[in-house]
Formats: sequence, structure tokens, C-alpha cells
Amino acid sequence: MKFDISYTFDAIPRLLEGAFITIQVAILGFTLSVLLATIITIARTSLRSKILNFIIAFYISFIRGTPILVQIFLIYYVLPVFGLNLGPFTAGILAITLNSAAFVTEILRGGLASVPVGQFEAAKSLGISGFALWRKIILPQTFITSIPPLVNEFTMVLKATALLSLITVVELMRVSQQIYSANYHPVEVLSGTFIIYFLMCFVVSRSSAFLEKRLKVKRA
Amino acid sequence: MKSIFLEIKELNKKFGPINALKNVSLNISQGEVICIIGPSGCGKSTLLRAINWLTPPDSGMVKLEGKIIGSENGKLSIEQSKLLNDFRARMGMVFQQFNVWPHLNVLENVIKAQIVVAKRSREVAEPKAIKILSDVGLKDKIDEWPDNLSGGQKQRLAIARSLAMDPVLMLLDEPTSALDPELVGEVLSVLRNLVNEGMTMLIVTHELGFASKFGDRIVFMDGGEIIEEGAPNIILKSPKTDRLKLFLEKLDITSLKEKH
Amino acid sequence: MLEYQIFFDYGPMILLGFWLTLKIVVCAIALGIPLGLFLALGRRSNFEIISFISTSFIELFRNTPFIIQVFLFYYVLPFYGLRLSAEYVGILALAAFGSAYFAEIIRAGIDAVPKGQLESARAIGMSDWQAMKNIILPQTISIVLPPLTNQTLTLIKESAVLSTITVHELTMTGLMVQGETFRPFEVFIMVALLYWALNETIATIMRKLEKKFSKDRKKTDTTKPRIKNLQRKGL
Repeated sequence: MKFDISYTFDAIPRLLEGAFITIQVAILGFTLSVLLATIITIARTSLRSKILNFIIAFYISFIRGTPILVQIFLIYYVLPVFGLNLGPFTAGILAITLNSAAFVTEILRGGLASVPVGQFEAAKSLGISGFALWRKIILPQTFITSIPPLVNEFTMVLKATALLSLITVVELMRVSQQIYSANYHPVEVLSGTFIIYFLMCFVVSRSSAFLEKRLKVKRA
Repeated sequence: MKSIFLEIKELNKKFGPINALKNVSLNISQGEVICIIGPSGCGKSTLLRAINWLTPPDSGMVKLEGKIIGSENGKLSIEQSKLLNDFRARMGMVFQQFNVWPHLNVLENVIKAQIVVAKRSREVAEPKAIKILSDVGLKDKIDEWPDNLSGGQKQRLAIARSLAMDPVLMLLDEPTSALDPELVGEVLSVLRNLVNEGMTMLIVTHELGFASKFGDRIVFMDGGEIIEEGAPNIILKSPKTDRLKLFLEKLDITSLKEKH
Repeated sequence: MLEYQIFFDYGPMILLGFWLTLKIVVCAIALGIPLGLFLALGRRSNFEIISFISTSFIELFRNTPFIIQVFLFYYVLPFYGLRLSAEYVGILALAAFGSAYFAEIIRAGIDAVPKGQLESARAIGMSDWQAMKNIILPQTISIVLPPLTNQTLTLIKESAVLSTITVHELTMTGLMVQGETFRPFEVFIMVALLYWALNETIATIMRKLEKKFSKDRKKTDTTKPRIKNLQRKGL
């Protein structure tokens, strides 16, 4: 057999459609995970409940200590047992959100640690407290210092979406499987898919420095 | 007239727009001690590093006993880079920051290159290392880790490491500049012994006392060029150029300040 | 309700899968670290072709999902006439994936060794490779050990993806048991707990080793200068 690149080119339009879905899934999952992680971070810092903090620590340790694939299977196969039929797309988004939120929480913890204590005190002395304190003072600083690891985490999410093909979510990986199971040219089709994933992840990972610059300038 | 031992001919080196070396030529005969002085950034360290090609010169050449070190065009073939390693083994180099190897104990620091580069057996290398370490006064430290040594001891170890390769020439790049004042003496006394043994040396230094006492010649560099050279009593007592005068005045003032 | 019987009936089978996971990861690391070392040195090479190939390999494997790498290996190797069992394909894919990350870790370790170390080794006549082997790499070990451990933990987790090419490791076994029993909760919790336990065990051991290591280091290099400073201040 010879590598016939025409199969790669023929597949590209459909692969790009799949890539578009991959991007949507990744953005949705990542946005939700950042929201969840922010809530967890605020709860952990301001409530100081021992039980809650134990549950959060347990959750983070479990997510970080087990494969995301197993987490996806757990949610996809187990929730229906409890009567929750979410469908592959929702289950996939849920799994990715829960997984990524654990990592984002850890990232935010690092970012939060770099906010000087004086910032809290200064804000309190000005009468800013509660939600406003977080929204106006603490979170913006936390997020800006966390940009590089957050961008890195987004590429992790982007890569993790490929696993959703295994629970029949039709994204880039699944589309490429559909194509080559019809034309029997897996090497050509997968090569094209490989390149598309690479371009997406590479561009995102290189955007970190750019984003940092933009946001810092905006603040100044 | 003695024959030329080390010949440095029209060396040039640019770092971006800066001329680190500008047509530097210098002839050195065997057993000569050359002290190179000059303000920081004048190219004196670059000159030493160009001699053993740690910093390859852009043009010009260096000859040791008539043989070209590296090449004449700043680039190396595989064969030339192998030859270069042989040259380097015969030219000891001592750095301002010591650069002793922290993962090896004192004895192994002196043994390592003997085995790896000179291909000596451990039976030969070890007694030699012990002998040299006792010459530099580190005999009771052979089992120590470099991290536990003082700066002066580290520098003596670095000198011993080079001497173990039986060098015919020593290049010393500000060997005492990183040391606390009270530790300078012990390193200088090791160097004094080397002078007395007749070692050919090029020393970049700020120790004018040492330079005038043991240097056969002092070379003053500024802006990548050799401005003046000659016997110490002439160079230091009656400088011809304004640049050297200015440099010596400044050095006097700072050394006075340090004393008080 | 939990069906405890499954733990007894299928436990041994699951453990067998766990054992294969362990074997695959160990092999992938044994292959991946040397390959990563070559890639790291290749990336630093003065020969532009070697450095370009190494850099491309590293960036390609770091910026694509592991699952597509696995599928590519699975289909590409036979395409060029190399027929291997799924286990071997899995080991190769995992080793290639890991090596890209190992390379970057090793490169960062090499960069962390002060420049003077390489210079002093070269100045005494060592070749580039002799200097690397005798002077630089031994000094990087303590620097790279923690990130290498983290990467090992990642490889353990990523090895679950090999279930997609029918390697009978832990996750694949879980899927098979789930297919027979239709008790996904028990099965996947069992699988997850095994991964978790392995992960925590390795992480704990490494944390302890690291602590001991940094304590030993402190004993040798930081306390002495501190005492010296105090003496200098006349205390």
C-alpha cells in the first residue's frame, strides 16, 4: 500500500466540521470548569468549613489520581443507573467539566497565593467586602497571574475532548473514524486529523504570552 | 631570543555591535608570566577564552608550539574539534567562579578528567591527584564535597584539577576576584609556586601587587585592543597612554577605599 | 445497592488487568526516558537538521491527544509492514508520547545547571558528550526527579487510552466486566480506586524521598554559610 494523500484532502472539509465541534465542546467544558473552580475556590477560602474543605480535597485528589477516560465512563455508564439519562454529549461535557475544574481549582489556589495579603486588608479598610471584594479585587489579580497555567489547562481540555469519541460524541476524532471506516484509509485520514489537532493545540499554547500582554496592558 | 611558544595573531571577536577583540596579537615564550589588566568589559576574559576556543574567534588564529589551535576561520571540522579537545587538555583553565563540580568530591574532581580525557587508569590518576592536592594544601580535604569548601579552597581545587592534566600553559581568568579579601592570599601563594616552577601563564587579574612582582610582562587592554604592554615596572610606574593612567588612578582609589 | 459479589467474582480478572497496566507503564518509561534524553540533546544540537527533527517530534507529540497517537501507531506500523501485538503497539505509543514530555523535563534540567559547569568540562578537554555524561547529567538528576515522577503518574493515567486498541489493561478489563455484569458503578469504582491507589502510593513515596533529599542537601550546603555569616557578624 502507498500513502495516498488525496484521501487526506478529501477528508478535510468534514474533519474541519468535526474540529469546529471539538472547539465548541472544549470552550463549553472549559468555561463551565472555570466557573465551578471559581465557586469552589471562593467557598474554600471564605467559608473555612472543615467538612467542605475535606470534600473538596477528596474530590481534587480523586480527579487527579484517576484517568479522565475512567471518569468519562463512570459518568456515562453510571448516571443512567441512577435514572439520569443525559445522553453522550451532556455526559461528556459534565465529565470534562468535573475533571478540568479540579485542575483549575489547583491553578487558582496558586494564583490566589500570589495576591498579597495587603490587598485583602486594604479593600476591607475601604469597606469593600464579600462578593465585591472577590469580584473587583481578588479574582482579577488571581486570573491574570494564572493565565499561563490556565491556557495550558485549556489545551489539556482540547486534547481530552478526543476521548469523548469513545462515548459516541461526534467531534473531530469520531468524524475521522467515521470517514476511515467507510473508505478504509485510516493512515491518510488520521494523519490529517493529527495535523488539525496539532495546529489547534499549538496555536492555543502559543497564545499564552500574547494574552498575558493584552491583559496587562488593559490594566495599566 | 627565545622561540615563540604561544602565538596569538590578529584575533577578532564581535558580540553583536561590540568589539570584544580587535586585532589582538601577542607572542609568548615558554615560562613567561603574562598579566592582563584592564577595565571590565575590555575583552581580557574574551582573549583567554578565545585562546582555548571556549569563545571561538571570528578571525585570526592561535598557535601553540607552531600548531594551530582550532582553525583559522572560526569554524571547526569534526577532525579539528577532536584536536581542539587535545589542545584544551594541555591548557589548564581557571575561572573566576571556580566551576568545581559539586556532584564529585574533592578527589574525584581531580581524577575525573584524567580518566575521561587523558585515559589514565585509576591506579595512575589517584596517586597523582593526591600528590597535587597536597601541593595546593588540600590533602586533608580529599573526601570533602566542594559545597563544604571555602572560596579559596574551591579555587585551589580548580587549579589542582587543571594541573592534573599536566598542562604546558595555564589560563587564569580573574582567579581571585570572587574571593573574600582574607582568602586571596592562599590562592596567590599557589600561583606563586607555579611561577617558580616555570609554568607559562596568562593571568587576567586586578592584583597589581602580584602582577608587578611575578609578571614578566603586563598587558593593558581596553575596548578589545591591547593599548600598552611591557615590563611591570615600566607599565605601572610610567604609563604612556592616558587610558592606562586613568585606569591605574581609578584602581588606586578603589583599593584605598577597600582598605578603609 | 452495591453488589459486593462482583468484587470477589471479577476481582482477580481486574487485578490481572492492573498488572498489565503496571508492566506496560514500566516498559514505556524504560523506553521513553532514554528516547527523551536523545530528543533533549537533539534539540540542543548544533546540527540544524537534528535539532529540527527533535523539536518537531517533541512539539507534535505534546500538542496532540494521546488517543490519536495511539490510533496512528496502531494503523501506521502495519501500513509499513511492522506487525506487532496490541500490547507492543501500546508500549511504543506510550513511550513516544512520554518521551516528548521527558525531553522537555530533561532539557529544563540541563538548562538549570550553571553554564560554568559545561565550560569547565569543555575547557579541560572533554567532548560535548563526555561533558554531558560526566558533569552535566549527574547534576540534573536531583532537579528532574520530581517532574519525572509527575510525568510517570501521567503515563499511568494515559495508559487507560490503550483500551481503545484492545490492550487488556485495567480499563479494558473494566469495560469487559461491565459488559458482562451491567454493574458499571461497582466496576468503574474498583478500576478508579486501583488507579488512585497506585497514583497516591507513588506520589507519597516521592514526596518522602524529596523531603529527605532536600534535608540532606541542606545539611551540606546551606547551614554552613549561615553559621559562617553569624560568626562574621560576631554572634
